[in-house]
Amino acid sequence: MTCVKNSTIINSQMKENRDSTYQNELFDRLRRSVGLKKEEECIGCIIKPTTWWLVEKPNPKYSDLETVIQGNCQCYKRSDTGNRKKCIDTILCIIKKASETRVLTRFECADGLHGFVYPLVQGDRLYGYLGVCYAKKDVSEQLLDVFTAFTDTIVREVQKELELSKLYETIRPRAIALSTVHTVHRLIGSTLDLNELLPRIARLSLQIMRANRCSIKLVDAKRRTLLPKATVDLREKKSRLKKVRVGKWAPGKAVKFGRPIRGENYLATPLIDEDVIGVITLYDKVDNKPFTAFDQEIMATMAEQAVIAIKNAELYKDQQRLTMGSIKALAKVLDTRAPGTYVPQASFLKITLGMGQELHLEGEDLKSLEYAAILHDAGEIVVPDKVLSKPTKLTGKEYEIVKEHPIVGVEIIKHMKALKTVVPIILYHHEHYDGSGYPKGLRKDQIPLGARIMALVSAFEAMITKRPYRKAKTIDEAIGEIRRNSGTQFDPKVVDVFLKVMNRKDIRSMLEKELYRTH
Amino acid sequence: MDIDKIAKSETHVKIIRFFHENQASIDTPRGVATWVGGERAKVKDALEDLVKSNILVAHRATSTTGYSYTRDSKLISQIEKLLKKK
Repeated sequence: MTCVKNSTIINSQMKENRDSTYQNELFDRLRRSVGLKKEEECIGCIIKPTTWWLVEKPNPKYSDLETVIQGNCQCYKRSDTGNRKKCIDTILCIIKKASETRVLTRFECADGLHGFVYPLVQGDRLYGYLGVCYAKKDVSEQLLDVFTAFTDTIVREVQKELELSKLYETIRPRAIALSTVHTVHRLIGSTLDLNELLPRIARLSLQIMRANRCSIKLVDAKRRTLLPKATVDLREKKSRLKKVRVGKWAPGKAVKFGRPIRGENYLATPLIDEDVIGVITLYDKVDNKPFTAFDQEIMATMAEQAVIAIKNAELYKDQQRLTMGSIKALAKVLDTRAPGTYVPQASFLKITLGMGQELHLEGEDLKSLEYAAILHDAGEIVVPDKVLSKPTKLTGKEYEIVKEHPIVGVEIIKHMKALKTVVPIILYHHEHYDGSGYPKGLRKDQIPLGARIMALVSAFEAMITKRPYRKAKTIDEAIGEIRRNSGTQFDPKVVDVFLKVMNRKDIRSMLEKELYRTH
Repeated sequence: MDIDKIAKSETHVKIIRFFHENQASIDTPRGVATWVGGERAKVKDALEDLVKSNILVAHRATSTTGYSYTRDSKLISQIEKLLKKK
């Protein structure tokens, strides 16, 4: 019962404070109102000379009124103490009357001067009064009607202005916060690479929370341990990556109980999908203030978005694994026909990807290059065995069949949506830089970059691999051949990159090991 | 660092003021242009200028760039003084 009483008192005090602030702001705006100044000028020049004043309380005391009149009325200043008291008493009496009737009320002051008081009312609420002293005795009723209409309009206008400004003050920070949430959503949704995504989530969380350290941990398969995946510490150069047992420390507890764990200098927010998949933990706010319930709410929103992005990235990874599995399976099937032809050596893949990276390919483009490296000769399945293993020069007709293989390769893979970007690489990987290749005779930049890379690696691979009709070249012989054909068969820029990659010790030794084992 | 030189246009000052008043905000050029009431192209250039001066941090992604406020407390207090003068 006491609690209810206390809460009622607190609520009524809060309401009183709010009302008083509103009242102050309203009169502050009224005093600065251009409309009211205009009214004073317009009406004042008809009933002049006048003194206008505002009483900012619905039930003013003697002292309140004394301050107002003293500051505005010249006549009051000239009067003696007795008349001053009579003046204030008269106006107080008129204000009381006006507060009851809520209409404009005329008065005559102690000095025999005339005036009127107009209560400022909106709906049921009385805010204060607008008073005019020192006016003509015979101010017409019609003029007073204009005065009241004018004043009502101004008060309404000022009130609307005030309400709009209050609304703006309330909505703007929320709109800015919403915009931040939207931006974060876009920033973390724009990558499907977990290695890029998690540090990005950590950095954005630090920025939003103005904290110094953020760590993201994901639950392991056995659901016993939290594995550190990203840690960003703005005060230290080295990031600390520590495993944590589920149930231990703030991150472990957040995961165990599936709710945020907040302390003065830490805030652990679980990442909840169908189950808890991990935790984002923030430490030490920049201003050394404790984490608040509001921070907790913001991080809960951030965590929801992070979970969606993490799940998308994981799904994408799974899909990539599936695609790669299918491609490898296809390559294995093809390889049974001519062992060693379709399953590329790891070194060729590494050379291809190394060249792609040197040429600033990334993400999807690099992945397409990898897929193409495995499948570029898949179309050779239509080339008869006797042609593939022919030890002598091919006839024109046989060569025509061989030239069909990029188109057939595309026919094989085109039904796999995930390989859509691989199609141009496979289709054009036998085009020559000078336009003398097949199937379209494209030249220079008309040939997609991936296909230009593939053309070179594929030719290099063919040169250093033994064929039925010729011996394998050595690595250096093949490199020499590539160099000689720069600008004719191969794009010189791609040749330069190839030479750079072939200078890498790791690649060279890997290739030598594979060739030595093979031959 | 001469902070007066960095705040070289009204747009720059408006952006600095926006981020100073909303230090947890991360927004795109379009969003910032809305909050400061500026032309998007001008705002974008000013944002990049402020990144170079370390007043803002750019979070770059393929689809957009998010901008957020510096965390350097010395710089923030210099900005506080600058904004009081303006």
